[in-house]
Amino acid sequence: MGWPTLAGIGLPAFCVPEERGGFGLRADAAAASATELGAALHGAPFAGLTASAHALAQITGDAVVDELLEGILGGERICAFGRLSPDDGTGTRTARQVDGAPAADALLLLDPRRERALLFTDPADWQSRPLTDSFDVSRSGADVTVPVGAGRELELGALGHAVELYHLLLAADALGSVRRMLDRTVAYAAQRHTFGRPIGATQAVQHRLADHAVRARGMSLLVAEAVRHFDPAASGDTAPPDEGGGIARWVSLAGLSVSSGAPHLLHDLLQLTGGIGFTWEYGLHFHERRVRQDARLAANPRAALRSLVLSEGWTNVR
Amino acid sequence: MSADTDTQASGDTQASTDTQASGDADRDAGARPDAAGSRRSADAYRAEIRAFIAEHGVPMPAEGVRVPRDAEHEREIRAWLAALYAGGHLGAGWPVRWGGRADHLPVHDLVLMEELILGDAYRPLDQVMLAAHTLIAFGSEEQKRELLPKIRSGEHIWCQLFSEPEAGSDLAALRARARPAPDGDGWLVSGQKIWSTDAQWADMGTLLARTDPDVGRHAGITAFAIPMNLPGMDIRPIREMTGHAEFCEVFLDDVRVGPEHVLGEVNGGWKVVTSGLASERAFVGANSVQLERMFTDLVTIARAARFDDGSAALDHEDVQAKLAEALYRVEEVRLIVRDTVERILLDEEHPSDGPVGKLAFTELNVALTELAMEIIDSAVTIDPSAADVSARLHHNFLWGRAMTISGGASEIMRGLVGRQLLGLPRA
Repeated sequence: MGWPTLAGIGLPAFCVPEERGGFGLRADAAAASATELGAALHGAPFAGLTASAHALAQITGDAVVDELLEGILGGERICAFGRLSPDDGTGTRTARQVDGAPAADALLLLDPRRERALLFTDPADWQSRPLTDSFDVSRSGADVTVPVGAGRELELGALGHAVELYHLLLAADALGSVRRMLDRTVAYAAQRHTFGRPIGATQAVQHRLADHAVRARGMSLLVAEAVRHFDPAASGDTAPPDEGGGIARWVSLAGLSVSSGAPHLLHDLLQLTGGIGFTWEYGLHFHERRVRQDARLAANPRAALRSLVLSEGWTNVR
Repeated sequence: MSADTDTQASGDTQASTDTQASGDADRDAGARPDAAGSRRSADAYRAEIRAFIAEHGVPMPAEGVRVPRDAEHEREIRAWLAALYAGGHLGAGWPVRWGGRADHLPVHDLVLMEELILGDAYRPLDQVMLAAHTLIAFGSEEQKRELLPKIRSGEHIWCQLFSEPEAGSDLAALRARARPAPDGDGWLVSGQKIWSTDAQWADMGTLLARTDPDVGRHAGITAFAIPMNLPGMDIRPIREMTGHAEFCEVFLDDVRVGPEHVLGEVNGGWKVVTSGLASERAFVGANSVQLERMFTDLVTIARAARFDDGSAALDHEDVQAKLAEALYRVEEVRLIVRDTVERILLDEEHPSDGPVGKLAFTELNVALTELAMEIIDSAVTIDPSAADVSARLHHNFLWGRAMTISGGASEIMRGLVGRQLLGLPRA
């Protein structure tokens, strides 16, 4: 099923306010979709596009943005999402690993150091180079180069929860791979016989799968908790009223949990499938390659880790 | 390991992780309140029990330590337990005719245990609860009338005489023999029990012994409820790595027990011990509070641990990173516990929930104490204001290891998760 079909059932609109033609801020639906897309190894540029659409929807009274947003919601246009390198005086700036870039006809690139984002709507304004160092074959991405001074400047603080959504959806995507491959490996361990019995009936295999199942549950619940914090109204009256800080903290926790845990978990599942581990094109490999790319797009565990350290107030304690 | 390892948690301190549906036919059936009503009731109860603990609470000697220091301490503990029962806090879920509350909700058990931990108040071991529920479900009318009030009054502390040197996780391998007495009056029990928590000050014990060696391993075991001062019993405390002596070994040498001591049916002991009767299943939710406290201690010690240059451990990026990694694991496990408690309160628990929660909690707990030791050991000095926290972390570093064994070792838990959650064949 291609992206226009998925767009037709509303996927780009989960985190766009109703008055802009979307469903509001349905992080729950977006995360559930990301998890299913991950489980299906789908190529849709979902995380970056959802974050972009959410950001653009915060900008009002701008005809170019209005038109772009309408195109995104209709499935005709794709706005990729990425992070710019600092200006090093060479006249161009690069954004590495831009989610959805090769197919995109718009770009939203974060420039966190300047508290800005840059919006590009004319493909003539950038050059993209498909990723050569990506493990992931299920989705495309690109490194993008833009001239200094080009693009429309937007205030980063005015873009809603775009950055948190991006990280949440990358975690949710990897979670889909974790769940799907855990299920498949458990089924395999029950079927595959060696020495006259299923490998899943040996503790060396069964106990590792049990540990992975516990860990996968922890990841799932952390992602679900982060999702819950996007919607204070649905969180029930036991939870304290949630502000942006709560969202950032829980997204960091979920991102850290999944991006540091999922690649290792999938790698061990690969190990448990034995001889299949020699190849690189079995389904399990595609999932491991995808979750590694999810972690890289989220700047690997370090970004979430530093964000968490900041939100916990552990820096400059003296 | 042997192919016939038993799946149930080993006897000692098992109750809170039991996973079977309650077999307590005597339990009061009540209408299930809606979530909001339950929450209001829990909030009101929290205020009540918090005030009660502040006024009457007796402190816990150290985490996991329950044996009294001396006679005076023992009097205090028994009086405190009696007050908890009399106040309708402990034993609140029992049938009303045995002292339970008509308005009891399972969420109250969760609140009670959380507040006992937060208030640092003495709390009874899960197995004490199990003894009561075993009596309620399997005891004769006479046994219930005689023994349940003495639990509530603090007169009777109970212990379990389950594990043996060669029967721990594989409890059905137990060898303690109950032979018919030559004079035809009851049985003479001989054997060795070990890892019996509280046995040195318990008044009563639940004993498992083999009454029929000629039938299947599980079929020939009988449960007895016996006084701990019968002739022929020798109780020896075992000093553990924490320096405390919580466990005992108990030698039985022709100890005479009678039909009046039989709990349930003769040769029906396996059913008694594996029926998972603890109705305070929501106690498991208190693990979340434990983890929160442990993490707070970790941050405290990272602020208090100083290096040569006067910097605190927490000033350093590597320590910050390790704490951040610990924090997401803590939140994962707290959510696993919360998820389980929500299902317990809805009576929708899955058999694997207990093993998942125990495995996740006890293993993370050990990892956190190891991180604490790493931070403490890397420091030149520890700020004196954190001396108590440091001592607590040292104690927990040692005590945490016991928790990965008692109530079912982590390997047993992994097997249960493999079979009950993942549907894999018995290993």
